[in-house]
Formats: sequence, C-alpha cells, structure tokens
Amino acid sequence: MRETRHSALLHAALMITGLAMVFPLVWVFLTSFKTSQDIIRATPTLLPERWTLENYAGLTKTAPFIRFFLNSLLISGVSTIFIIVTCSAAGFVFAKYRFRGKNLLLLLIISTILIPLQTYMIPLYLLTRWLGWINTYQGQIFPLIIMSSGIFFMRQNILGIPDELLDAARIDGASEFAVYLRIILPLSVSALAAISIVNWVYTWSMFIWPLVVANTEDMFTMELGLMYYQRQFITEYGGIMAACVVTLVPVLAVFLAFRTRIIEGIAFTGMKT
Amino acid sequence: MASPDGVGSTSSVAVGAGVAAGAPARRRGAGSLQALRRSQLSFLLWIFGPIVSLFIIIRVIPIFVILIFSFTNYSITRPVWRWTGLVNFERLLQDNNFLLALWNSTEYVLVAVPAEIGLGLLFAVLLSRRVRFESFYETLYFLPYIIPMVPAAIIWKWIYAPGSVGLANFYLEMLGFGRVGWLTNSKIALLAVIGMHVWKNLGFFVIIFLVGLKNVPADVKEAAAIDGASEWVKVWRVELPLLKPIILFGAIMATIWAWSAFTEVYIMTQGTDISTGTEIAVLVFRIYQEAFRFYNMGYASAISFVLFILSLVFVLIQFKLFRGWKEEGV
Repeated sequence: MRETRHSALLHAALMITGLAMVFPLVWVFLTSFKTSQDIIRATPTLLPERWTLENYAGLTKTAPFIRFFLNSLLISGVSTIFIIVTCSAAGFVFAKYRFRGKNLLLLLIISTILIPLQTYMIPLYLLTRWLGWINTYQGQIFPLIIMSSGIFFMRQNILGIPDELLDAARIDGASEFAVYLRIILPLSVSALAAISIVNWVYTWSMFIWPLVVANTEDMFTMELGLMYYQRQFITEYGGIMAACVVTLVPVLAVFLAFRTRIIEGIAFTGMKT
Repeated sequence: MASPDGVGSTSSVAVGAGVAAGAPARRRGAGSLQALRRSQLSFLLWIFGPIVSLFIIIRVIPIFVILIFSFTNYSITRPVWRWTGLVNFERLLQDNNFLLALWNSTEYVLVAVPAEIGLGLLFAVLLSRRVRFESFYETLYFLPYIIPMVPAAIIWKWIYAPGSVGLANFYLEMLGFGRVGWLTNSKIALLAVIGMHVWKNLGFFVIIFLVGLKNVPADVKEAAAIDGASEWVKVWRVELPLLKPIILFGAIMATIWAWSAFTEVYIMTQGTDISTGTEIAVLVFRIYQEAFRFYNMGYASAISFVLFILSLVFVLIQFKLFRGWKEEGV
C-alpha cells in the first residue's frame, strides 16, 4: 500500500520534471505551425488555432536555408569520415603496439580532452589564415578531424580484441595495413558507430569555430545562418521557430534512431573533441 | 617547441618496433620477422605518423602558441609585433570589462556546477530505484543535451522575452507574480542564462550518474538491505561513496563547460533591442571580441591564458577535494 503510493509520487515527480525539460522543445515545434497572429496572442495556446506551413515555406525566401543545411551536412559528414579513420588507426596503435614514449603520447592526447577549443582558437585561426583557408570548407573542417576522446575510446575497445587473432593473420603473411582493414575495423564497428554518431552531433552543433572562420553567406552552417536570421528578423517569431525546428530535427532523428549507442558514446566521451 | 615528446616518440619507433609481435616471432623465421617489423614500421610511419602530426598541429602547438602570444602585442592588422613582457597581464588587472567578465564567469561556474551535479544526482538516484518506463524518463531528460546550443538559446531568448511576449512572464503573471526583466535586468540576466545552461546540460549528468549507480554491485546493495539500512542511508552511505570517481568526472566536465560557455551568452545578449551584452559578458566572449572584433590577438591570448590556468586550477582543486573525501572513509 505504502509502496504503491511511493511509486505514484515518484512517477508524478519524474513526469512533471521530465515534461518541463522537453516543454520548450514541444512549444517551439507547435509554434512553428502557427500563423503570425496566433503567435503573438495575449493568451498563448499550446496547439495552433489553425495549422499552417507558411513559416516553413517562407524560410527559403528570406535566407538560403537549403544551402546552410547542405553546408552543415557536408562539414559534419566529412569530419565524421576523418574521425572514423583517425580514431580507429590511432586506437589500434595505442592498443596493440609497443614503443618508447607511447604512454606519454597517449597521456598528452587524453589531457587535451580537457582543453576546450575556445582557449586556443586564436592560433588555429592564424593557422587557417596562413593556409589561406578563411571562409572555406577546409578551414571549417580541419580542426574537427582529430577527436582526442574518440582515440582513447577506440584504444579501450581495441584492447579487447585478442592478440592471437592479429598474430594468426600476421603468420598468414598479412601486412599490418591488412590486419587493420580486415580484423581491427570489422571488430570495432559498433564502437566506431558510437563515436561517429557523437562526433556528427557535435560537429553539426558547432558554433564558435564557424562564427570565426566563415564570413559570407554561402559558407554559413545551419547554426550560423540561424543566428544571423534571428538577428535580422527579430519579430518574425514563426520563421525563427521554423528554422530552429529544421536545425533540431536531424539531430533528434539521429538520437531517436540510435538512442543506446549515443548514450553509451556520450557517457564516455562527454561529446567534446 | 610544443612537440618534442610527441614527435620524439614516433621516431623512436625505429628502435622499439617489432616487439609487439613477440608471440609469432618465435614461430616465424628470421626473414618473415623482418617483414613483419618492416610492415609495422610502415604502418606507424604512413598512417599513425600523419595522425599524430595532425594532432600536434591542431591541438598541442596552438596551446603553446597562446602562451607565447600572451607576452606580445600581436595583431593581424599590424605587420610588426614585439615582446611586451607582462604588459598584457598588467592591463588585464585594470581592464574593467575583463574584471567583469572574470567575475561573471566565476559566478557561472559557482552556480552551474553545483546545480548540475546536485540535480543530476537527484534524478539519477530517483531513476535508479527500479522505476518503470525508466528509459522514457531518461530520454526526456537527455533531449535538451543532444540538441544544438544555437536553436536552444534562441528558444530560451524567446521564452525570456520582455513584456508579455515571453512565456516565462506569461506564466508568472498567470500565477499572480509581477513581470521580470529576464534578460534586460543585468542582475537577473546572468542567472537566467545560467539556468538555461543547466537545463541544457543536465541530461548528461543524469545519464553518467545513472550508469554509475547501475554498476554498483548487487551484493553491496543487498548487504546494506540485510543490515536494515533505510533507503536514505543506502543512497547516502553506500551508493554515493561508490559513485565518487564518476562524480569527480562529472564535476570536471561541468567546470570546463561553465568556464568555456559562449554560445548561449552570445545568442541571448546580442543583436536585439535588449543589450545586456557587456554586463553579462563571460571570459570567452571577451576573447572573441578582443581577438576577432578588435584584432588584439596578443591581449586576447592573455585572456585565454588566464582562462586556461583557471580551469586547470579548478580541476586540481576538485581532485584534491575528492581525495580528501576518499580518505575520510565515509
């Protein structure tokens, strides 16, 4: 009797706080389907009075949101392909090779996990400028092709692959490159999936680096385009909310599709490079 | 100058490589052992080498360059620059904008970190009581964390909007309170932004603490139950002490994120009629403005350097505190 009352209370508390957490997101989603008069009503209602797509239709007319969207996809996609290669190869070496200075190097990589990009973006910016990569895709992507926490994550995973498996292939005359391709990669698919999803979400959400290196509209990511759009059309709440939804939906879709992987990956890496 | 350790270790491979394959070496002829060694060396040289070099170029060297720059008057608008010694740091001490940002960032850390750890632990402990629909609640808490900061900040800027436009004020009035200038009143604005930051990151802490609580061995919990420990005592005396390493990890992450907060402050205070920009500027915001608006790279590097040292000091303090907690033997 007492137990059930307890659990009812617990569920009520969890439900209320949980709904409060997602309420802003639900609100934005519903608002993006409201007409402009409906949005500024004195007593706002949760559901739209009349569902409309005009906010979404208006988006592409005021700013090249399709371009922003594709830019974001390109940058996060290329970064993730690089991450898969760099993390797995470096993780392989850190897990299975022995040479002097290896542990020191690994320690150096782990310690950079704790140093956010914000503290050293000035030298990175100057390097980008020196390379002539300001306002280019390369310039936006290259700081995102190494993921320190991902290297460590892959190393921990590859440690679990038995040495006998690698040695057997080596005896058959396989080169190290073949061992990497035919044994290491196939056996770490699920760990690689976890870090690539995490990295994709992280790079899709990136803001300060694009803000610093991208300065014309054709190079803007979704985040950057959204920021300038809401600055320019302060009172266009419907349009702003629709643009927010367009930015959120890919991440939410990926999250709901790969929930367990993401939670596993994020709990380990903290979702920062 | 940043890289002697890293580069040194890759090139020293030549001496030590091949040891890795100790087991097959015994079974193989001398010729194939050499082939294996050559193969491993070329993997290190052609695949691992470039990755490590990249890592050093985009992660390690920039951190050391910041240190060097903070003692210069470097600017990309000037062709020449020179050493200025401690001038940048002396200027920092008299720069009210910097001091204000330093104070704001400190407040950010002091409010956000305890809030995130405290609330994260609370919800993780509640969820770990074998609740039904646990993964559903988990998802609700986690959603704000996974979404990008820019739309999240825009949404909250709208919720906090002045007058009756914003939802926050609408609900306050509905409950019979007066309106609050969430982002226009400089006393409240920073706390309002921190509140948004906590809302955004809370899910991460709930998840990592929940994973930790689930890994508490069942026999430990049973032993406590047999001893007749109440639920409260079980949490406080058994589960939380076992969770210490994860709480430490969480506290470190929370601290670093709070020190390096930028996006939400930038979005919520810039480019609108409400300009609390300078009053609630944080350190990264100052770095951004000095470096990329005024092109004072040297001066901005000095701020970065301070930020770097501060995060380091806070992380070390946390390690110390947690070690103390451990020796106390709760």
